[in-house]
Amino acid sequence: MELQLPGFGQWIAAFFTLFVFSFLYKDNILYRFAESVFAGVSFGYYIGLAYINTLEPNLFSPLFGDFSSNWSLLIPFAFGVLLYLRYVPKLAWISQWSLAVYIGYYIGVNLLQRLHGEILPQTKGTMLPLNVEFGQLIGNLVVIVGVITVLIYFFFSSPHRGPLKPAARTGIYFLMISFGASFGYTVMGRISLLIGRLTFLVDEWARPLVATVFGG
Amino acid sequence: MPGQRSRNAGVPGSRRGSLPGDPGWGTLLWRPLRLVALVYLALLGTGGLAGVWVPAAAQDAAAPVASEVFSPAPEGHIPPPELPLDFSVVDTPSDDGSSLTLRWDPDQVMQTLGVATIAALTFARRAVEETEFLPVGRARVRDGEFRDAGLESGVAYIYRIGLEDEDGLLRNTAASAPLVPQANFFRTHRTNALILVLLMFGLVVGFILAARKGIDLFIRRIAGLDAIAEAVGRATEMGRKILYIPGIISVNEPQTLASLGILGYVAKLTARYGTKLEVPNIDPLTMAAAREIVKQSYLEEGTPEAFNEDMIHYITQDQFAYAAAVNGIMVRDRPAAIFLLGWFAAESLLLSETGQSVGAIQIAGTAQVTQLPFFVAACDYTMLGEELFAASAYLSKDPLILGSIKGQDMVKAVILVAIVVGVIMVSAGVPGFADLFSAL
Amino acid sequence: MKRQIPIMLAIIASVCPVIAFFFPDRWINEWFNQRLDAWMVIIASFALLLGIVSMIQVNIHKIRRRARGWGFSIIILVTFTLMAAFGLFGGQGERADGSLYPFTWMFQFVFSPLQATMFSLLAFYVASASYRAFRVRNVEATLLLIGALIIMVGRIPLGTLIHPLVPDIAEWVMKFPNTAAQRGIIIGAALGAASMSVRVMVGIERPYMGKS
Repeated sequence: MELQLPGFGQWIAAFFTLFVFSFLYKDNILYRFAESVFAGVSFGYYIGLAYINTLEPNLFSPLFGDFSSNWSLLIPFAFGVLLYLRYVPKLAWISQWSLAVYIGYYIGVNLLQRLHGEILPQTKGTMLPLNVEFGQLIGNLVVIVGVITVLIYFFFSSPHRGPLKPAARTGIYFLMISFGASFGYTVMGRISLLIGRLTFLVDEWARPLVATVFGG
Repeated sequence: MPGQRSRNAGVPGSRRGSLPGDPGWGTLLWRPLRLVALVYLALLGTGGLAGVWVPAAAQDAAAPVASEVFSPAPEGHIPPPELPLDFSVVDTPSDDGSSLTLRWDPDQVMQTLGVATIAALTFARRAVEETEFLPVGRARVRDGEFRDAGLESGVAYIYRIGLEDEDGLLRNTAASAPLVPQANFFRTHRTNALILVLLMFGLVVGFILAARKGIDLFIRRIAGLDAIAEAVGRATEMGRKILYIPGIISVNEPQTLASLGILGYVAKLTARYGTKLEVPNIDPLTMAAAREIVKQSYLEEGTPEAFNEDMIHYITQDQFAYAAAVNGIMVRDRPAAIFLLGWFAAESLLLSETGQSVGAIQIAGTAQVTQLPFFVAACDYTMLGEELFAASAYLSKDPLILGSIKGQDMVKAVILVAIVVGVIMVSAGVPGFADLFSAL
Repeated sequence: MKRQIPIMLAIIASVCPVIAFFFPDRWINEWFNQRLDAWMVIIASFALLLGIVSMIQVNIHKIRRRARGWGFSIIILVTFTLMAAFGLFGGQGERADGSLYPFTWMFQFVFSPLQATMFSLLAFYVASASYRAFRVRNVEATLLLIGALIIMVGRIPLGTLIHPLVPDIAEWVMKFPNTAAQRGIIIGAALGAASMSVRVMVGIERPYMGKS
């Protein structure tokens, strides 16, 4: 394969990668430069995305294209605009309306998601049979005892005294083992991310550069 | 294409006159007639007894007959014989009248046709007044059910099922009798969720009312709560700022709202002691809500002039760009205390480790099980899951809100009892109890 | 009135998805669920402008006051303006000649590498966090350490070399104790969230008007 000098894009990408890594040593001007560019570019990106993916196709285009069948979009449009009344001191209180509708709607959605989508299936999933072979029995018992003791740990309205005390304590132990397991599980994934980044630096930037300059 | 040839002609015309949704005397008369017809066809041994529309009452009687009459088609016979697959078309329960459900017994189909569970069935439908069948979807034999959505209400539909054989030839069942989808009033399969919602409302509102009457409510200590005042005190003494990170998603997430509740309390303390507070944001609506809450706290503490909108400012919408910027704030401004409360993802460790490295007191809390281990490892205090919600209620010191915690504990007790009963029932071979908790 | 309207709006908005969840009626589902869902996304998109105003204000204040590092505020404002302009007016994806539009180029060579690098920093942070966590000496920390070690060792070939059962133990820990604890957290947090929802739905908690 004929090697070429890395392209302009690769140079930029490589520099930004190195600038961010430099933070590991200490805060410095290069990291701060990368951080500022990152903040600006990412925010600009999401503005572009919000317009291209949401406001244009879901609001402006239907509203101006076919008003008679999309007039109802004026409602979110109005609530969107109301948000800005906070900059008019006398009318600032009206901007709470948009927030009230937004928070209110998702509160309703969440109530059902939690009760129906989480509590019901998780409760059902814990109803495990005990009339099974020994290995499975131990596993099932661990799950049942674990869920019950963790929930007892989360009892707030009665003091953890008497039998609740050892139960809540056991709950904490379950939580800690689980945190450890989850931690251990993630460590591997994070290391592979780093390897991915180093591979970019070596394969797409450093190697073609060295090869071209020193005649690889 | 021979395989596509419709066998509509094989369906007795009389079936069309009776709509299953119609409970009139026509249906009553048709039931015995159909049974007779089935037995007659079975006796004839034509092999064409598939695709019968079988209402629940006649299903048991009809099914064995249909499977017995099947005889494989002779080789090379074109068009392929009708597919002897029993299926029923029923109105989808608890829907808005825009779908019908096709059902079959996977075991019976596999035995009769000798096909694998993974074999794909194709479905075609036509409205009674149309002539052409249109393909509407596929499902595996083992699914046992196919829901055809997007139908018009008030229109009767006819179905047939197709199955590709080893030679790639499509064989179709006879067509079903027409059926009109019906709109239902209530999603009956969600009755369990409704009961849970009512239980939650009943117990939470009930204890709120009890709290209003003045009953004494105990709430246990939550680790990290006492540390809040300590952290603010430390920041005040050192003359450094407090950094409050309300998670990385919007106010559509209850954890964000819980975090904002705690922010209200922290802001009261910073207003009282004149400590500097900074709340960098990733979500503009969270920022707007945070401003309302902090402003209110400063008003209540009698120091509205100390409130400045720039205290609660926006950075960017991107998770990692936000983390990069907040890390920058941490190392440059060295806040004395850092709060990380709300919904977090991978950036949790980037933030909490940097906070740890600048020597800040860190109080964290989230219900994200994947991020809790990192907070536990890198922060001084961590509110685990439900503790985050309870903390926000606890700090409000509002007896009404404390009543709601008692109510939520009662629901928890009900769940614990249900788990124990469920384990006993399942072990005793009664799966019905656990099924009451199915989320459909 | 100032107080009542937002409370009423929040209560009405919160009841809509609940009704749509239980009643299959077409009209209810279209207006109380599908349309409201789409409307909320639109409101959230409008809110981005609040973010822009705040971001510009904070950075302009810094530049005016010549605060420490004010030069970086200029960089933020310039890169933001450029990228937003590329997104709004410059086109997306590839041009006919195969070259990239500036919005996509910036995404590919600036935004994306920065994102990936920040993410990859976690490898170092995980190491330092483990070091600290594993130094603590109490029962909880020891259990955390044991859990982590079992999983880490069990998921690499070394685990099998130590003892052929090690990967099985790791799997067992993930499948049983870990599931139990996570389930407990999920149920508890769901109850906390549901209880908070009830408080907002009856109007005693009003985060939208600064009262939590």
